[in-house]
Amino acid sequence: MDSSSGPPPEFDYLFKLLMIGDSGVGKSTLLLSFTSDTFEDLSPTIGVDFKVKHVTVGGKKLKLAIWDTAGQERFRTLTSSYYRGAQGVIMVYDVTRRETFTNLSDIWAKEIDLYSTNQDCIKMLVGNKVDKESERVVSKKEGIDFAREYGCLFIECSAKTRVNVEQCFEELVLKILETPSLLEEGSAVVKRNIFKQKPPETNESTGSCC
Amino acid sequence: MLTETQKYAAGAVFALALHQAQIHQTRPLGFLNEDDDGDGSGLGPSEERCSSCSSADSVSEDPQLWVNHSCGLLRPVFRFLEIDDKAWAGLEETAGHSEAKQHVGAFLRLLAEEREAASSDVCDRELALTNGVDAMSSSMETSPTDYESKKEKQWEYEQSCREKLSNPEKTPDMKSEEKDLLDNIQPETSVTTSIVEHSNLQSTPESNRKPLEDVEMLSYSRKVTVLYELLSACLADTPEDNKKSTRRRKGYDARHRVALRLLVTWLDVKWIKMEAIETMIACSAMALLKEEESKEETQSQESSWTKWKRGGIIGAAALTGGTLMAITGGLAAPAIAAGFSALAPTLGTIIPVIGASGFAAVASAAGSVAGSVAVAASFGAAGAGLTGTKMARRIGDVEEFEFKAIGENHNQGRLAVEISVSGFVFEEEDYIRPWEGQYNNLERYALQWESKNLFSVSTAIQDWLTSKIATEMMKQGAMMTVLGTLVTALAWPATLLALTDFIDSKWTIAVDRSDKAGKLLAEVLLNGLQGQRPVTLVGFSLGARVIFRCLQILAESETNAGLVERVVLLGSPIAIKDMNWEATRKVVAGRYVNVYSTNDWMLGIAFRANLLTQGLAGIQPVDVPGIENVDVTEVIEGHSSYLWCTQQILEQLELDTYYPVFNRKFFKP
Repeated sequence: MDSSSGPPPEFDYLFKLLMIGDSGVGKSTLLLSFTSDTFEDLSPTIGVDFKVKHVTVGGKKLKLAIWDTAGQERFRTLTSSYYRGAQGVIMVYDVTRRETFTNLSDIWAKEIDLYSTNQDCIKMLVGNKVDKESERVVSKKEGIDFAREYGCLFIECSAKTRVNVEQCFEELVLKILETPSLLEEGSAVVKRNIFKQKPPETNESTGSCC
Repeated sequence: MLTETQKYAAGAVFALALHQAQIHQTRPLGFLNEDDDGDGSGLGPSEERCSSCSSADSVSEDPQLWVNHSCGLLRPVFRFLEIDDKAWAGLEETAGHSEAKQHVGAFLRLLAEEREAASSDVCDRELALTNGVDAMSSSMETSPTDYESKKEKQWEYEQSCREKLSNPEKTPDMKSEEKDLLDNIQPETSVTTSIVEHSNLQSTPESNRKPLEDVEMLSYSRKVTVLYELLSACLADTPEDNKKSTRRRKGYDARHRVALRLLVTWLDVKWIKMEAIETMIACSAMALLKEEESKEETQSQESSWTKWKRGGIIGAAALTGGTLMAITGGLAAPAIAAGFSALAPTLGTIIPVIGASGFAAVASAAGSVAGSVAVAASFGAAGAGLTGTKMARRIGDVEEFEFKAIGENHNQGRLAVEISVSGFVFEEEDYIRPWEGQYNNLERYALQWESKNLFSVSTAIQDWLTSKIATEMMKQGAMMTVLGTLVTALAWPATLLALTDFIDSKWTIAVDRSDKAGKLLAEVLLNGLQGQRPVTLVGFSLGARVIFRCLQILAESETNAGLVERVVLLGSPIAIKDMNWEATRKVVAGRYVNVYSTNDWMLGIAFRANLLTQGLAGIQPVDVPGIENVDVTEVIEGHSSYLWCTQQILEQLELDTYYPVFNRKFFKP
């Protein structure tokens, strides 16, 4: 029932992605929009949420394990423990709220440097809520500059209108696929489950022995 | 009593503990010190690999994991704690994915967080609860005099045993031969020191010391409150809304208890506090039950019974009653009724101990105590359930199968049960006395089974030992040689084999009965006669075989993993090969100890030559991941020593400690 030598894994690589950013910038809605094509107004995330999505990018079957962390201050200590082992980090800000953008450089970027265990981990800057063009306070130019400074990818999107949502994840994943060290980590061959490596059971030879 | 965030963190820490407990099932802490570099210390090399590559499968896809929703272990707890169901998946994944140490600290910090509007009311309640727990635990602690008197009793028993057993072998030279044979053995009375090298320090590995700095941020009363909430959540019988998790049985799951035990270690709280909490919750739940009962009292006995059943208030008890009647033909029904009235005095004793305010705190803390009723109700019936199980006609061959209550913890609201099984007995008291002196806070029972057969095989062995030829052989030190060789090669002297013939027939019957008794024991546990509470099984000689057989049967179904909490097998006549020890490991949630003595040649002879190629658990370590092997060669003179040494061995095993406290000693042939 639980043999690791069963059917081959249904994916080639498994990547761990992490979403961070201030409370209310739309991390969870962005994720929901990506994983289930829907848009809802969600209440603030408690702790962490976890979603899985299978995608095919560049001919490779990928399983994305996406961790959506809470932006609220009180969960900040928690968030730090999730950086470990992430191949990609998505930093989200709200283009209609400047402080969410400045906090990325003041707080979040530092957190990544501090806690990420992965030197090569791919970072991505995402400006969300571009559907509210009239309320925009952070220009695209500022975003590009920031991204250049921190050496990360950049995209603007809207979880509501689903503009650039797919692209956001796709670009990140493509970049991971180009990075050999990350690729190695995510390889399905390494995939293992500690409870699945039992020796084959020598069942039914029990009974009495005298 | 906890804020939403704290509840979230409590649930998370519990989930982490649960997952770690499952990992430790096959990979106990303290056993692995090979390549433990600073990073993955304690969790072993493979776990380290798993967490750093982050490519383990998703928890939701592996129903074997305790944290998987299909096990039904976590979600009810989350629901009781009122954790937003959106966060469940995240928590499960967190628990299942990564090594504990990186997250535990973070969650503990979250727990330590003070609420925004610190209401003194909540603080007071926390404090009252803590005081209650402290008072309760101090009332449960052993008093030194108590302990002394128990020791005394044990010593007496030992003397009487030795008297009895050495009687036929009075010949002086025999005595001295025995001395020669086991020359490194000190007289029992002075073996209060150690069995083998004690390694307390080493067995508490670094990784579990790690969260300490965060633990210090937590106030003691907060820890107690968290543990209290978690236990309530474990016991609560919250209605399930999805059919998938119906696999979990009602009551207190052994896996929950093991997780709590680990959590207590992380939080650096004494286990006895947890036991106190268990008792308090049990009693507050019973209070509610009593209330229900008095409400029903106006009606006639008859109708209240049916009402209980219909209302499902005592669902568990009714179930117990049902199976009981199936086994004993209705004899036990009055006993169950008696069980319920026996609940009453318990409450009377607990309230003075923890104080009225403490009790109020308890009651309010439990919140929906109503949920735990299933467990409470099962106690009363449990006493009757176990002691009432006399004989099962369904398994015709077993003539005797009876539980005897031992210790003082009955009807005291204990939430864990111990069943002890003797296997080398000469008279009836040998079923009970080896276990009497033991001290712990479990509700304890001894299993008396097949005394006729066991007496006869034990006596036959003893007679044989004193027979002329055996004495001769012992004189030549042949026995030790025999035992030394028979494990590796198979060089049984033909004369010896011929000799054992007359033991054989009796032994074969006894072994057969022990397998059947094991089946019966498994049935008892499956039917929840222990009151749906986690069970610790301890047995020596053929008694260990009963337990092992019981585990084998439990292992046949995946859903039985939550019944047995701990197992100790002493001097067990069980083959090592082809017995599927791995499978039995899975149904024991906590520690699984095999106690062996390399010079127990009596067991070797009785167990017979041809089987020794398969190994024998009673004389050598069982090399199965997760099974603790403890070498007691130095305390055990012969097989019969288990009668009086068991208690001492158990004491040193420190079963209440989460980690194995012994060094693993490898057997060198």
